[in-house]
This record gives sequence, C-alpha cells and structure tokens, in this order.
Amino acid sequence: MGSVAYYPGCTLKDRSLQLDQSARATAEKLGAELVEVQPWTCCGAVPPSSQERVMNLVAPVRILKRTRDAGETILVTLCDFCYNVLKRANYRMRKDAVLCTRVNAYLKEDEPLRDYEPPPSASSAEYRGEVRVLHYLEYLRDEIGYAALAERVERPLQGLRIAPYYGCVMLRPKKEIELDDPENPRIMEDFLLALSAEPVAYPYRNECCGSFLSVSSSDSSARLCHEILASAQKHGAQALMVSCPLCHYNLEARQDEIAKAFPGFEKIPVFYFTQLLGVALGVDASALGFERHRVDCRPVLAQKDFVA
Amino acid sequence: MVYYVDNAVGPRIRLSAQRVRGAFRLSVDELSGQRLYSCIQCGMCSSGCPMAEEMDILPSAIMRLCQLGLEEEVLNCKTIWICASCFMCTTRCPKGIDIAAVMDALRQKALAAGVDHFGPDQIPPEQAAEVPQPGLVGVYRKLAT
Repeated sequence: MGSVAYYPGCTLKDRSLQLDQSARATAEKLGAELVEVQPWTCCGAVPPSSQERVMNLVAPVRILKRTRDAGETILVTLCDFCYNVLKRANYRMRKDAVLCTRVNAYLKEDEPLRDYEPPPSASSAEYRGEVRVLHYLEYLRDEIGYAALAERVERPLQGLRIAPYYGCVMLRPKKEIELDDPENPRIMEDFLLALSAEPVAYPYRNECCGSFLSVSSSDSSARLCHEILASAQKHGAQALMVSCPLCHYNLEARQDEIAKAFPGFEKIPVFYFTQLLGVALGVDASALGFERHRVDCRPVLAQKDFVA
Repeated sequence: MVYYVDNAVGPRIRLSAQRVRGAFRLSVDELSGQRLYSCIQCGMCSSGCPMAEEMDILPSAIMRLCQLGLEEEVLNCKTIWICASCFMCTTRCPKGIDIAAVMDALRQKALAAGVDHFGPDQIPPEQAAEVPQPGLVGVYRKLAT
C-alpha cells in the first residue's frame, strides 16, 4: 500500500493524542503509513458558513495546496472538524471560480511571509480543488476495503456490543461532504461488522452532542450527551465508538458533569474507532492511549479477553 | 399601513411594508448565500433542531421574521447564540436552504454591533486546558467579535 499523505491537525497532537497514536499504529499494521504533509498549520477548525468570510478559507486551502505541491492526490485526515473544513473548503474552491482566484491571491501573498517555498516540481497554477480529502474511515472503506480489512483482523471483537456515534460534522452538510447518507449512515456499522463486533442500533447515533456548546452552554451539552449515552445504554451497548475529538470530550470527559446533572446515570466507556481497530488488528494495548480516557475502557475489553 | 400583532405567545411585533421591503432580508440573503423567500414554513428545521426546546424563537420562526424584515427582533434573540451549528436543519430542509448558513450570517450581523456573547472569563481554566481546539475556536468564532 505504501504511504499516504496525512493531516493530523492541532487537536490530535495534544488534547486527543490517543486518536493520532492509535491511527498511526493501525495504518502501520495495514501497510499504509500515515505521512504528515510538512509543514502544516491549523486548518481553522470551524468552516466559514458566511459568504463574506473568504479569509477563513486561506488556512484550509494552504494545507490542500501544500499537499498538491508535494505531489499528493489524496489527503487523509482523522479529526472530524478538520475533515469538514478541508472538504468544504475544497468544495467551494471547485464550485466558485471568483472565490478560487481570491483565495489563491491571498495565499500568494502569504507564502513568502511563512518562508514557504513550493518544491521545484510543484505546479505554479492556482489550487482549484485537485486534492481528494478522505476521512480515515473513508480510506479504510474505499481504498483498502472493509472486506480486505476483515481479513487482516487478528482478534475478532466477537460479542462486543458497540454503539457507533457519528456526530454532525462527519456527515453534514450532505451536498458538500457526501461521505454517507446523513440520515441513515452505514459506514461505522459496516466498520464494526468488519471487526466482527456487534453494532448497536439506537436512535441518537447522529444527533448533536452539543459541539462547542459544552463551553458556552455546558448544561445544554450535558442534556444532549445524556440523551445519547442513555439511549445507547438502553439499547444494550457496552461502549460507544466515536471519531470526533470534540464529541469524545463531550460524551466521555464530561461524564462526571452529566452524572451530577442526571442522577442515576451510569458511566459508559467511549472508544475512538481507531482504538477498536487497533485491538482487532493485534496492536499492543499500550500503543492505543487508553490511559488518557476518563472512563476506563479496558474493563469492557478485558471482559472478552481482548486486552493484550 | 402599520399593523400591530398582539401575540399571546410572544412580544408585540410591528409589521410594515417598509420593514418587509427593507434591506435586512436582502443582506441576510447575500451574507448567507441563501434565498430566504424559498422558505415555505414547513417546520422541518425546528423539529430536527437539538436545541429547539431552549430557543426563544424557533429556527422556522427566525426564517419568517427574516422574510418580514424584522431585524431588531431577530438580532436580539437567544436562538442564534445557542445554535450548535449541527446542520440538521440544512440536511432536512425540503427547499434545500442552508439554514445553518443563515444562522451564521445572523450571528455575523449581530457581532458587527461590537458586542461579545462569550468571553474568556466564562471558561473554567481546567476546561480551557482540556477541551479540544474546535470547542474553543467554535465559541470564539461564532459568539465573539
């Protein structure tokens, strides 16, 4: 498989380190090394919805242009927010010629200020959305294939009941993201099936966890997260599985606050999909960052003798 | 002609041809890239919205107020500051309107008045150190000038 261009984003390098760690470990096992496109900068985290906010596109397009300049056609990313920003920036660059010219003009001014020189092989042409942005799950589903993935599983997660939680920005807005059906997605359930785990069906799998409201309206986010977690529990889940670092923080790191607001709530572990993949592929548990979780996820794995 | 609407559920709203034909609706159209007049008031956005139960004006009502040029009422509501930008409304709108973009445009217009709806004094330091970056960027980008 070789190597694939990878954009980790800021969050994965400190606050959600286990997502980056576990992803790299799994990619190595699969023979597709995740190689960071250097130098990289923040993608901006929040995509601009307003038509007037053109400057906010400079950050994501800078990354995409550098990826293209490095001769790559695919860019894999893990953080759902990075994925959403990069994919939507790409969409706008492809659809809007005037915007495309403006953003490229800003980048042209910006590059010398950052001591960035495109490699000699790089095209001098404007960046017009040539790079394909793939979520790591998408890469697993479309480039490697879930069937091929299933064959590489060393430790089938038989009997592990996992409730997949999609969140919002991985799937929506549909027109610009087109990863899966936002109302009835299958990508996470099929992923779990490839690992022989048992995906739990429950109605809150794509309802918002509150996103940044956990900072500005934290009671609201606690309410939303409680509904999601309680629903998963009610439908028999032993743990949840997420992709987005902010969802993980809202659903997992804040379970103390949720328990305080909703007496009777019992804590439930939340995995990153890459950690479950790591366990299934036979990666050593110490490389998967479980110690960074507030709600210990090892007991659920130990129950089924999955932990190495 | 000026009509007063005495609404048992909410405050009095002053409708006028002048407000309806004024610049507000068009400016929201332009800023959001959406066509507010496309909204048929079906209510799908409001029913899918995870924060609807905490809002003073529902998303579909916000669309209606914008159509009627009621700038003051819209920009002074609580709704736009507790919108989670989850895009459920956009996904479900049968007319293909990006309602989340309209909300973003309204926030931008409100912030142009120079008033912050969030500040660093409102985050506990422990949370600021722990919350993933999109959480911080989200509140500062959408709720502060």
